[in-house]
Parts: sequence; C-alpha cells; structure tokens
Amino acid sequence: MIRLPIAAARSFALTGLLAASSAALSPPAIAATAGGVTDDIGVIRIPKGAPITIGGYWVISGPDTALGTDSMRGAKVAFADQKNMVAGHPINFVVEDDGCNAEGGQTAATKLAANPSIVLVLGPACSSAATPAAPILWKAGITDIGTASSAPSLTAPDRKPDYDGFLRTIPSDLGQGKADASWLYTKLGAKSVVPLHDGSPYAQQLAAVMAKNFAELGGKVLPTEAVAPTDVDMHPVLTRIATEKPDAIYMPVFVAAAAQLLRQSKEIPGLEKTTLVGGGSLMAPEFISAVGPSIVGFRICYPDVSPDAMGKAYPQMVAEYTKMFGEAPISGYHGNAYDAAVIAIKAIEKVAKTGPDGATYIGRKALRDAAFASAFDGVSGPIKCGEHGDCATFKPAVYEFVSSDPSTFKIGTNPKAIFP
Amino acid sequence: MSEAVLAVRSQSRLRRFLLRLTFVDVALWGLRALVLVVVIGGTIGTLIKSRYGVTQWLDFVLFGLTIGSIYAQVALGYTMVYGVLRLINFAHGDIMMTGAFAGYFVANGFDRSGFLAANPVFAILITMAVSVVVSTSIALIVERIAYRPFRHVRGFAPLISAIGASFFLEQTFRGLFGSSVKSYPDLHWHQAQLNLFGYMVPKIDLLVIGCAVVSMSILYGIVNHTKMGTAIRAVSEDKEAAALMGIDVNKVVIFTFTLGGAMAGIAGVLYAFVFKQVYFFMGFTPGVKAFGAAVLGGIGNVPGAMVGGIFLGLFESVGPSLFFDGFGIAAPYQLRDLIAFTLLIMVLIFRPNGLFGERLVKERA
Repeated sequence: MIRLPIAAARSFALTGLLAASSAALSPPAIAATAGGVTDDIGVIRIPKGAPITIGGYWVISGPDTALGTDSMRGAKVAFADQKNMVAGHPINFVVEDDGCNAEGGQTAATKLAANPSIVLVLGPACSSAATPAAPILWKAGITDIGTASSAPSLTAPDRKPDYDGFLRTIPSDLGQGKADASWLYTKLGAKSVVPLHDGSPYAQQLAAVMAKNFAELGGKVLPTEAVAPTDVDMHPVLTRIATEKPDAIYMPVFVAAAAQLLRQSKEIPGLEKTTLVGGGSLMAPEFISAVGPSIVGFRICYPDVSPDAMGKAYPQMVAEYTKMFGEAPISGYHGNAYDAAVIAIKAIEKVAKTGPDGATYIGRKALRDAAFASAFDGVSGPIKCGEHGDCATFKPAVYEFVSSDPSTFKIGTNPKAIFP
Repeated sequence: MSEAVLAVRSQSRLRRFLLRLTFVDVALWGLRALVLVVVIGGTIGTLIKSRYGVTQWLDFVLFGLTIGSIYAQVALGYTMVYGVLRLINFAHGDIMMTGAFAGYFVANGFDRSGFLAANPVFAILITMAVSVVVSTSIALIVERIAYRPFRHVRGFAPLISAIGASFFLEQTFRGLFGSSVKSYPDLHWHQAQLNLFGYMVPKIDLLVIGCAVVSMSILYGIVNHTKMGTAIRAVSEDKEAAALMGIDVNKVVIFTFTLGGAMAGIAGVLYAFVFKQVYFFMGFTPGVKAFGAAVLGGIGNVPGAMVGGIFLGLFESVGPSLFFDGFGIAAPYQLRDLIAFTLLIMVLIFRPNGLFGERLVKERA
C-alpha cells in the first residue's frame, strides 16, 4: 500500500517538536522574595556585572524577512543609544526566528521561556506568531512587547488572562481597518469590495474590521474569500471573484500570496476594472522582487510613517539605523520596535533593585506593570499604554508603488505616499 | 422450488453477509456514500445557482489542464524511479526547483539584455536547455551520492536518505540564493491570448500544455519504442532477471534518473512561466501533489502518471467551485487539497493499485 511518507514524516516531526516544546514549558510562576524584592510571579536575579538578557522574536527568514529584520534593527538602534547598558548591566539581546507563523511563534516563545535569564521579550512582527507565543511567555512570567503584530484580538478588552503580559507599540488594526474602509469608499470610490485573507489572525481580523466599516459607510461587501499563505495557483479564486465584478479586492495578506494574486489578477477576464489593495505586511523590497513589473500602481494601506507623522527624534533614529546597518530602513516598523525597546529599558530601570549581595533583582509582575505604565514621546509618535496593552497612536496613510526596481524601495519614494 | 425454500435461502445469504460485515466495511461504504452525496448534491446546487458562465468553467478546465500538465511531468520522475528502484524519490520536487532556479537566472539575464523580448522562442529554448542540464545533473548527483549506496539495503534507510536529499537541496538553495521569492521575467506575450472558437485562451497556458504533451510523448516513445526503454521496462518487471539477461541495471538506473531529471527541468521552467516566481521551497507542494498523481495513476506506470497528473489538476481546479459552491460554502477554494486527496483516497479504495496499476499487475502475471 502506498502512503505519503514525506508529508507524514514532516507532519509527525512537527507534531513531535511542538509536543516536546509544550512539555518543556516552564511551570506557572509563583510569588517569590529575593534580595529584598517580593513579587507575585517571581524575581529574576542578575549577578553583579552579568548581562541582562532581553529576548526578541521576529520573522528573519523567508519571504517576509524584511518585516522582522527591520523591527530587530530598530530595537538594536535603541540599545545602541543606551550604549548597550541597562540598570548598570550590559544588554544581552537573544533573538529567535518565528517564521511569521504559529508554529514558529510557539517554538520561539518556548525557547525564550525556557531561558531563565530572559527578563523581557520584544516582538513579534506577525500576529500569527504572537497569538500562540504571548501566552507561553506570560505563563513563564515574561512580559512581551509586540512591535508590528496588530491583530485586534491581542489587546482586545475581552482578551484572555493568558495575554495579560502582552502590550504593543503598533496600533491595533481596529483603527487601520476603519481608515482603510473610509479610504476605499470615499477616496478610491469603490462601492463594492471583496475582502480576502490568508487565515492568519492579522489578515482575517483586519479584513473583517474593514468589511464591517465599509458596510457601515454604505458600501457593498461581497463574500469574503481566502487563500493559503503558500498557495501559488490563484486563478480559480480570482475567477470566482471576477464573477462578482467588485470595484476593489482588499487583500492584507503576506508577500508570497499577495505577489501571486497581483500578478495573476492581470490574466483574469472580469478583473480589468478591479483595484487590488494590500496591507502593511507588504511594505518590503522583497515584495517588489516577488511581483516584478505588475507592482507599478499597486497601493497598500499602512500607518503614516512620514517624518511629519512620527516623533521628533525619528529622523535622528533613521540616520543611526542607516549608519549602523549600511542601508535605509527596509520596512516601516523600526520606529515601533525602537519604542518597544525604550519601554523595556525604562521599565527595567524603574523596577531593578540592588540587593545586599550587589546583584540586581527584578520583580516580574512589577516589570510588567512598569511597562504598562509607560508614557513618553517615542520616535513613532506619542507612547501611552492602556490597560489592555495598546501603547501607540494610529495615523492612516496609503502608499503606491511607482517602480518595479527593488533597489528603489524607500518608504515615501517607492512606494510614495498618496494619502493623506 | 417452493417460495418458502427461496425465502429461507435468501435469509441465510443475508445473515452470512451481515456476519461478514465489519465496522471498516460500513465506514468505507459510508465514506463512498458521503462523497457521492457531496459530489452530486454540490454539482446540482452549483448548476442551479448559475454563478459561473461557460467562459468561467472553460477557464477552470484550462487552469486545471495547465497545472495538471506540470504535475504529470513531475509525476513521471516519481513513477519511473519507483519502477526501477522501488524507491520514492522525495527529492524529485526539489530537483524541479533547481531547474526552475537555473532557468530563472538565464531568463533574467536574457530579459535584462533585451534578448528575451527580441527572440522569445530562442530564449525559451536556451532557458529550458540550461534548466534541463542543471536538474539532470543534480538528479544524477543525488542518485550517485544519496541513493546508490542504499540500492541493496532493505528497510527505511533509502527513504530517509531521499527525505534528507530533499532537505539538503532546499537548504542549499536557500543558503546560496536567499529565502526571498524571486520574480520570473514577465513579458507582454505572457499576457497574450488566442481566440479559439470565440473563447480567449492565454497563450502561455497553451505553451505549457503543448510543451508538456510533446515532452511526455517523447518520453513515452523512449520508454516504449527504444532499446533502452525496453531495458527500463525489463528492470521494472524484475531487476534480477533483467541483469541475468545481460541488461546493465546500473546504466538503466542512470538513464532513468536522466529522463526524470530532464522532465523535472522542463516542468520547473513551465511552472515558473505560469506562476512567475521561484523560491527555495517551491518544489515541495508540487512534489507532494505529483507523487499523489503518480499514486493515483498507479505508481510505476508511465501513462498512469500522466493521466493521474492531469486528473488531479482538473479536480483541484474545477472541484472546489463545482462541488462546494452549491452548498454555499465560503471560500471553497481553500478546500482544494481536501478534494485532491479525497479523490486519491477514493481511487485507492476502489482500485488499490491506482487507475492503471492493476493492468500492469495483470500483464506481469
């Protein structure tokens, strides 16, 4: 009898890995006292002179690499601004790759949670990774500051207690979805739209928020379609959409699938007058490489990251970024990651206590509360964290690609801002 | 014979049937009935809804034939290697990927220099030739390093080696050329359409289907009408007997990998023409689908792999809309793989050796 050994082998291997990693989860943290510090969920001791370890997890491989790498670099710039020191200790920055998917997020979080020296974690860029990862980290008493994971559910008022340790410096997509619906209806003039997602929390929730707001504005929301992030043949789904003759397709999906949709849409009869609009996951030079010439004229809805909309220190931060990495920012969330790192540094310095033995002691719950109490003028704009973890202020924008040459990628130039 | 006796006999037969009936039998009949209900009910519902016109159905069929042609070409590599070595060459999808990458670099260079736009036919032929050379060379290297040492080993070692070769190729190309998706050149003639009895057909789809048909015909001719083809079939039937008859089995295996690698190279370029992207992991999914196609057609059987590939492509393309739209299921296209592999399971339930496999078994007997 013939079976499918490779699919089975890979599936079993993945299942085994996830099972093993779940089993390795740290036990729920409990109240502790050490070095004169008492905390409800545990105290971290950092010996004198030893580094303070801050974790990070982003997508740093695959088609969406730019999204995560840009955030990671933003955090590194923030640490460099502090001379890589916090509370008198050098910073040890440990980064894991989450692959921008749930399995990767679970694996990365499990590895970080298993490291007892991790004080706090930054990231991720993808909501798909944050959704399983944040509870794992919080179970180990680790506060997690998201940098580009914008799915509304992560900071919703009714979120589960598992997410109590998660906050973020990227605005929730509740604002993005509403702004996108408004732009599509009033500026683009679309009266009917097909929301299309890839099953990820980010895309699914953003498409739903946009659809709700579009309908409230009086637009016609046609049946929602879905593709898989790894799909390559989009002809059937596009042919199905073409039967509806929509004015617009709203597709906040990731690079690989979006590139296929965009290229193949040109070949489908019935979509000649339909405008395709993407989301923030596509703000990357890799997207230009993946699409080729069909990218010219394509628009994406995104937070306004023009220097005018960002904080006063943003231009200085970009200059440091460019000097440090030898190129201009490769995506748009470096400022948010910078601010996340600043929250981490400020919170650690606020709660760190020196014990009688000269070591530094940090209460985990106190650190979480200090992070949630953050309020300052960040490089991405004003930062003020709410009780459910939303720290950023949203300003909408729409960008349009004007060249298919990946080397011309620069936010504001290619793609250029066409709104506001 | 009295009616009473007939009734008793009938009851006796029914009792024997019920006694022999197992839970698995009931479950399998239930599955068949369920699939039948979904297929018939969904089709009727979809046709009543009339969402799609003739043009859309023809489009679905054309997309299915196009992707099916590529599956068929890749499936040939699986089925031929299985035929001669009884080995499932899981690196075959990745060998297709290596050909696509080689083609990408050539096509990209031609595009930048303007050669691709000025001499499209010549440029495509050179692109394909380079792709074939690269994929064939890698297929032969994989055979020499990863498979030959295990040729006489029983158990799972060859299978594990094949999976390892697959990962090795993927990660090597990732390391060499990066993990980002690369865009194949997109020329104006890619968008060109041909008016066929009033129906506009993309020329690129016709090119892909045509190339696949020609290459598969050549392969079929080689396997069935040449001395080496006869040797391949002989080794497939009985390796030891073939060796005793003076056939150089080693040479046959190498020739089989050459043919499979060449088909993978052509398939890689055609795949990139249609989907216009190359990516280090791009061989995995079509590889699994093509393996499914080979099993569907009857693994080890060359015409079976061709028919299996086309069949799978058509079901994937037409199935979601035809079977699920009628039930009002949202985003039916997401159930494409469910349809493809349900089809595979159903065929294997009814014909455990695949569509063409049984004929081969009978011929051997």
